[in-house]
Amino acid sequence: MANNKADLLQGTLDLLILKSLQLEPMHGFGIAVRIGQMSQDMLTVEQGSLYPALYRLEEQGWIKAEWGVSDNNRKAKFYALTASGRKQLTAEEQSWAKLSTAINFVLNGT
Amino acid sequence: MGFLFKSLRRGKRFEADMAEEMRHHVELQTELNLKAGMEPAEARYAALRQFGNVAVIQEKVRAQSRWAWVENLGRDARHAARSLGKSPLLAAVIVLSLGIGIGANAVIYSWISGIVFRPLPGVADATRFVLVEPRTEAGSYPGASWAEYRDLRESLGSFRELFAFRMLPLNFGEPGHEERVYAQLVSGNYFSALGMRPALGRFLRPEEAAQPGGAAVAVISHDFWQNHFAGDPAVLGRSLRVNDRLLTIIGVAPVGFQGTVVGLGFDLWVPATLAPVLLEGDNELENRDTHGYSLMGALAPGTTQAGAQAELTGAMRQLAKNYPASNASIEAEVLPFWRAPRGAPRFLLGALAVMQGFMLLVLLVVCANAANLLLARATVRRREIGVRLALGARPLQILRLFLVESLILGGLASTIGVVAALWGTTALRAVPLPSGFPFKFQTGLDLGGLLFAIMLGVGSALLFGLAPAIQSARTDTQLALRASRQVSRRSRMQGALVGLEVALALLVLVGAAMFLRNFLETRLADPGFREEGVLLAGYDLSAGGYNPASGLVLMDDLLRRLRAEPGVESAAIASWVPLDFHGLPVGGFTIDGRKRSDGGQNRALTYDVTPGYFQTMGMPLMAGRDFAALGDTTQGAQAIVNEEFVRRYLDGASPLGHTIGGRSKFEIIGVVRNSLTETFGEAPKPVMYFSYRNRFSPTGQIHVRARGTELELVPNLRRVLREINPALVLYDVRTLREHVEKNLFFRRIPARIFAVLGPLILLLAAVGIYAVVAYAVAQRTTEIGIRLALGASGPRVVAQMVRESMRLVLVGMVPAWLIAGVVMLHLGGGVLNLTVLLGVPALLLLIAWLAAWLPARRAARVDPVIALRAE
Repeated sequence: MANNKADLLQGTLDLLILKSLQLEPMHGFGIAVRIGQMSQDMLTVEQGSLYPALYRLEEQGWIKAEWGVSDNNRKAKFYALTASGRKQLTAEEQSWAKLSTAINFVLNGT
Repeated sequence: MGFLFKSLRRGKRFEADMAEEMRHHVELQTELNLKAGMEPAEARYAALRQFGNVAVIQEKVRAQSRWAWVENLGRDARHAARSLGKSPLLAAVIVLSLGIGIGANAVIYSWISGIVFRPLPGVADATRFVLVEPRTEAGSYPGASWAEYRDLRESLGSFRELFAFRMLPLNFGEPGHEERVYAQLVSGNYFSALGMRPALGRFLRPEEAAQPGGAAVAVISHDFWQNHFAGDPAVLGRSLRVNDRLLTIIGVAPVGFQGTVVGLGFDLWVPATLAPVLLEGDNELENRDTHGYSLMGALAPGTTQAGAQAELTGAMRQLAKNYPASNASIEAEVLPFWRAPRGAPRFLLGALAVMQGFMLLVLLVVCANAANLLLARATVRRREIGVRLALGARPLQILRLFLVESLILGGLASTIGVVAALWGTTALRAVPLPSGFPFKFQTGLDLGGLLFAIMLGVGSALLFGLAPAIQSARTDTQLALRASRQVSRRSRMQGALVGLEVALALLVLVGAAMFLRNFLETRLADPGFREEGVLLAGYDLSAGGYNPASGLVLMDDLLRRLRAEPGVESAAIASWVPLDFHGLPVGGFTIDGRKRSDGGQNRALTYDVTPGYFQTMGMPLMAGRDFAALGDTTQGAQAIVNEEFVRRYLDGASPLGHTIGGRSKFEIIGVVRNSLTETFGEAPKPVMYFSYRNRFSPTGQIHVRARGTELELVPNLRRVLREINPALVLYDVRTLREHVEKNLFFRRIPARIFAVLGPLILLLAAVGIYAVVAYAVAQRTTEIGIRLALGASGPRVVAQMVRESMRLVLVGMVPAWLIAGVVMLHLGGGVLNLTVLLGVPALLLLIAWLAAWLPARRAARVDPVIALRAE
């Protein structure tokens, strides 16, 4: 992988997936593309991590899957945030903000 | 199991969805690649490559599913069942033996817990009740008098409500068609203090048991209601004829309630104030010398048993001060209900505790057995584990597989245990009970006991099934794979377990054998009286209006007429029959009015008997003469004592002419030979026989010795009784032999259980020892091959194998053998039963020797080349 890409921190994938679904339901491929776009191509999501994560989030009840029709008229599985998923997103955003602020303090200190 | 079903149903669609979704992903990626200008084939290939291994991703998704463990468990269970199926004999032995161990323990424990924890069926929270038991100087518990009860109820604040009851056998029905029913005379607060609600009608009101005479009412048991009134709700208000008096039925007790004496079932409850009505001439309501009431109550809130005891002691001292004539030396104790001094617990609990101890030993043998077999099996399976580890199984997965195997074994064993326990409780219920007492035992299965036994059994299967797995899973794959059999060291645990199993088996077998032999020997021993040819019948004059003088005349007449009957050799009356189930009364006394110098109390069993009793029972007089005739008025009060009495209290000197007595004096006029009194195999006990002439009793036992068959005399007996007074009732007519057999009841059950379990334990021990020793020797086949190839002689190698195995067995056996010997010396009064003490170990050694010798010989016969190649 290219050096200009950041590695995904452990546990942040869930946050990214939830964030990417904040506006509208999307299918798996869409989520991967969206995360790439949002990070200005600095982050790439491995499929090997994406799908297990999606199923895990679904089992936790934060996202909901439904079969629908994609833009190019094909059957696709769409994931949407649930109410508890929105709450989870807010909570994770806050804790991430706290964490990054804290890390920045440490790095900028001394 | 709904979730399982759901997860399985979900499974298919889940898989299809997942595949479809991932294909969709690849397609979209391919399109994107095409747009980026790739060739179609290249675009698709790149998309696939970018996506990665579909199967691996799917597997990852599946593994994180919440239901993954269900699927894995199913797989493990199938695998475990297959693997157990490959050694069905081993599985069967483990399952059967554990199951029987579990079942046997549950049955015995259920009996004990029934008596201790659920002593009063039909009464909620029965363990909160305690007994208040007056105790004499001699240490006996005669029960309280009614007057004592009234005083104590007034003065004791430690009890929420103190109530009283005593057993009263009654004759129920119209004259000539009477049958025996057992009632309890109770205080007016009996039912309310027990916190019960009637199934029908109402219970006694306090005012109904306040005045002597009281209300002529009765509460009947649910069984009695069903059996005699067909459960008719109109039974309320109807009359019952008992002891020729009419009582009005006011209520029916709830289902299951059988009174307040453990092991006995009563059918009627009547106010104690009816005693003078039902028993003519009875003055027990006023007389402080008439004991027999049991006092019972729940402790008041905030009161401890010690506090209640302190208050009771004070109250008894006050009574002693107020009524020195009756209460001078009487104290009292607060006892938990299950320690009731009268009734079944006294006899049962001891026997049951011994049995429970044995059963636990059996369970230990069985557990050691299962452990040995599982360990042996695990040793053989080390290579299998090695292969699994090499193929990528994680240690945890191997552990899980072994866990499932153990659980399957434990589960099957528990099932068998439950079935065995259910069968056992039913079988116990079918054992005939002694007559003459309203025995009724609660022999339901106790869930707690069953769970305990299952936990022990399954726990040991788990423990010993898993231990080797843990050990193996930790080993290096390379090492485990390479570990051919000859390298695998015998684990120290296995060696210890062989020793333990042999030791336990020896102890249990010696115990069982001793018990059986003891039972047979004592049964064959001379009881000191002649069992054959004696007819017994209980009589009850209490309702006939006799006083001691008229009663004595009547009984004298009865005996005279009986003796005149053809076929009757002799006839007599005694207050008790020896070996009676409910025990014999013990009396304190002094000799010639002297207190013992050591301040202790002389005590002896007491009988009241008529002249001719010893002749009827076939007990020879060793010195002196028989009692004076019943009608004699010229002679003083007389007593006859047995040899043990003379030995213990008169230092063997001639007792004739001495007097014994408590309140009244009796001259000793004879000495009779020792005989059994309470149980078979007992040490001789001192006994005093008092003359019935001086101590008339309205109830007792008629003894008739027949010239021919005793049972042929039954019609004669009934006719003679009718001639004297048609209203007199006989009950519990039986032969002395029947009486003895039935009263062996509590020795018979354990003996029967041992007779069944003994061979079973032997078999278990044999299988266990054989399996372990044989496995160990078989594992050394290669070693044997090498030795033979190097020139060792076959017999020498075999001898060495056998020697090494036997050393292991002896390490366990010798200490156990010594323990068995010491215990036997202790229990047997210094006598060793050599047949048992030598026979059992010899048998076990033979089994162990065979187990070592057979496989060793087989190995030694094999061509060394084949033996070496075998691995």
